[in-house]
Amino acid sequence: MGEVLCISVACGACCGGTGRAISASCPGTPSVSEENHTPELTDFSDVPCPVRALPPQWYHTVQVRRIRSLRARSNSDPLQGKNLGQGLQWQRKGLPFGNASSYLNLEKLGEGSYATVYKGISRINGQLVALKVISMKAEEGVPFTAIREASLLKGLKHANVVLLHDIIQTKETLTFVFEYVHTDLSQYMAQHPGGLLPYNVRLFMFQLLRGLAYIHHQHILHRDLKPQNLLISYLGELKLADFGLARAKSIPSQTYSSEVVTLWYRPPDVLLGATDYSADLDIWGAGCIFIEMLQGYPAFSGVTDVFEQLEKIWSVIGTPTEDSWPGVSLLPHYKTEWLTLYESQPFGSIWDRLARVMGAENLAQKMLKGCPRERISAEDALLHKFFSTLPCQIHQLTDVRSIFTVPGLSLKPEMRDLFFSHQKGSHHKPW
Amino acid sequence: MKFTGLLESHRLAAMLENSLDTEARKWKAPSFQGSTIKGTDISPMQYEQAVVWLEKLRSIFHFYPDTFFLAVTILNRMLASVKAQVKYLRCITVACLYLAAKTNEEREVIPLVKDLVEQSKCMCSSAEILRMERLILDKLQWDLYMATPMDFLNTFHAMVMSNSPSLFHDHLQINPSRHVALLTRQVQHCTACHQLLQFRGSTLALVIMTLELELMTADWFPVSSDLLTKAKIEHADFICCKETVESNLETLAPSNTVYLFISTSKDVRSRNTAIPACPTEGIPSNPLTVVSQKIDPPIGNTLASSIRSGLGNLIEADDEFDLGEISTMKMAKANRKNFS
Repeated sequence: MGEVLCISVACGACCGGTGRAISASCPGTPSVSEENHTPELTDFSDVPCPVRALPPQWYHTVQVRRIRSLRARSNSDPLQGKNLGQGLQWQRKGLPFGNASSYLNLEKLGEGSYATVYKGISRINGQLVALKVISMKAEEGVPFTAIREASLLKGLKHANVVLLHDIIQTKETLTFVFEYVHTDLSQYMAQHPGGLLPYNVRLFMFQLLRGLAYIHHQHILHRDLKPQNLLISYLGELKLADFGLARAKSIPSQTYSSEVVTLWYRPPDVLLGATDYSADLDIWGAGCIFIEMLQGYPAFSGVTDVFEQLEKIWSVIGTPTEDSWPGVSLLPHYKTEWLTLYESQPFGSIWDRLARVMGAENLAQKMLKGCPRERISAEDALLHKFFSTLPCQIHQLTDVRSIFTVPGLSLKPEMRDLFFSHQKGSHHKPW
Repeated sequence: MKFTGLLESHRLAAMLENSLDTEARKWKAPSFQGSTIKGTDISPMQYEQAVVWLEKLRSIFHFYPDTFFLAVTILNRMLASVKAQVKYLRCITVACLYLAAKTNEEREVIPLVKDLVEQSKCMCSSAEILRMERLILDKLQWDLYMATPMDFLNTFHAMVMSNSPSLFHDHLQINPSRHVALLTRQVQHCTACHQLLQFRGSTLALVIMTLELELMTADWFPVSSDLLTKAKIEHADFICCKETVESNLETLAPSNTVYLFISTSKDVRSRNTAIPACPTEGIPSNPLTVVSQKIDPPIGNTLASSIRSGLGNLIEADDEFDLGEISTMKMAKANRKNFS
């Protein structure tokens, strides 16, 4: 404790105590050096420090997606097992947000098309964070995905939406600091092959729909739902992440790009070229993920082009007609002659585990309607009988409260975890 | 634009609530002190030119009108937060549009910076725009989403349609989406008036909607005051804004060039070839030509009100006559359809 005090006093003495003075007295820090190197900035009397005004509640925990190969590396966490005294050497009071030196990189978690994600730790409060380092391109500046993600997440505060803590700008790079969440649904399913425990599926699905109901209420479409973009904390909290393709939606609607959502999770209306979709777009993806969680493999997978994908969907829900889906024949890629005319099938006969869980088949069928207007809304789906076994307090939570604050609710160990001793000692209680 | 029947009134109320909340948190506009924007050397005229230029750029790049409105809100917030010099105004303006496009437009429509520089003739370099882009993001703390006057107008319009459908049915000879497009155009004119800068988007949109209702029906008052209550707008603000808008729209026609479009322009036809009529609007994409003329005040006033009513005799008489700006919007939209 004495050490902490010394550090903060020393820091206070050299830095003047205020956020502004700190950044001014640390010319080596990237954000400041940018100001010095950008001639225009000196012409504006009040040069901004973007994060100074961030409220303290922005700093909590973190999470991000990681690549599969690096997955089971929790033992490599260099901070594990270190005692508090060692922690004090790197943790400082009074470090500013928005400053690269406030975070330490620990390990690389994954690489995406426009960003690399690292696990990191905040020197401000010692919390684990996910650092998404975004590369800037000379021909287009800040990627539009980064702009959307940041400006959308700024307005979203919900237990089932990933939290953006901080944004760090330097001359060459841009770093988003997220709460650290230890895995994602894709990895979770890979670790527990053969389908997840129906009880856990219910908890994940409820959280997914709760997150969707929230963003849809804010008139935001996610547009890229897939298991990799659903983060799972070790408590079982599910969080929507990767809002790079998301967008706000107004009335009357513009038309949108039909090149959204990974093929396997793309609804048939969008596959047919519809551009006037709405929240129903995300519901289809959520329905596919629902089946994948229960069944253990993707609902409509293995295809490489739009028409194969459509065939696959028709083989389950039936080839659409003007009667079953008014307006379908007007969609750009609609063909009057499909190769095969399929009859719709009961979902339970295709995905057997759906039939074995009360309400699951019915919910899946309501989410996977061909005609987008008939698809159930996230809000209504939360009230579906599939969730009727959950305690009713779960519907009364405020936005930022996790469902696991409801007494008695917790993730159950998956079958595989019960058989393998390496999970012993985790928080899971045997049932 | 698309109307899928009547939207439930509670959903619209929730939407309005949401937009009002966003506006309350983020709305900022520069204020004028003496002959310039406070703390800068930008004159009201230069500000207005910047907004008019934004609209011109929007149509060059075939962006949606939403993008224009978003760009204006970003510009206003920026000018209210920094002491910008007039020599940077073009760079700020074009960077605001670029950010609005990145926020609102789909990937395939967002231009590369070099194309932006070339086609906008903004006389600043790519590097300058990119630096300005980051400066704006920094200054606005990356929080670009904003409820624009257009969002409010659409919500108010949908609310009136949903609550009093007969009003539209009895008094309107054009379809609702075209009607709202005409009103949007009026809001657009107003955003370029520096005198209206002090009013929030919600107030301005409600004023335009009210002026329109006044022309449509004698029973406009209860409809308008209902919206006023729902939007929680101060009466004094509303009245002051309404007077300013009225005087601006009245001077609009006589003092400005009035654009009438007459069919068969080769110029426009060439732009319009291979473009199908916009299916969602049902407006024929007639090739139109521009005739500009100065109009004497009395006629001008009639025109102003016909612009305001959205369907003056001129437009009613012949579908081939239209307000130019609307068809530009329409074409931009049709062009975009083609894109995708």
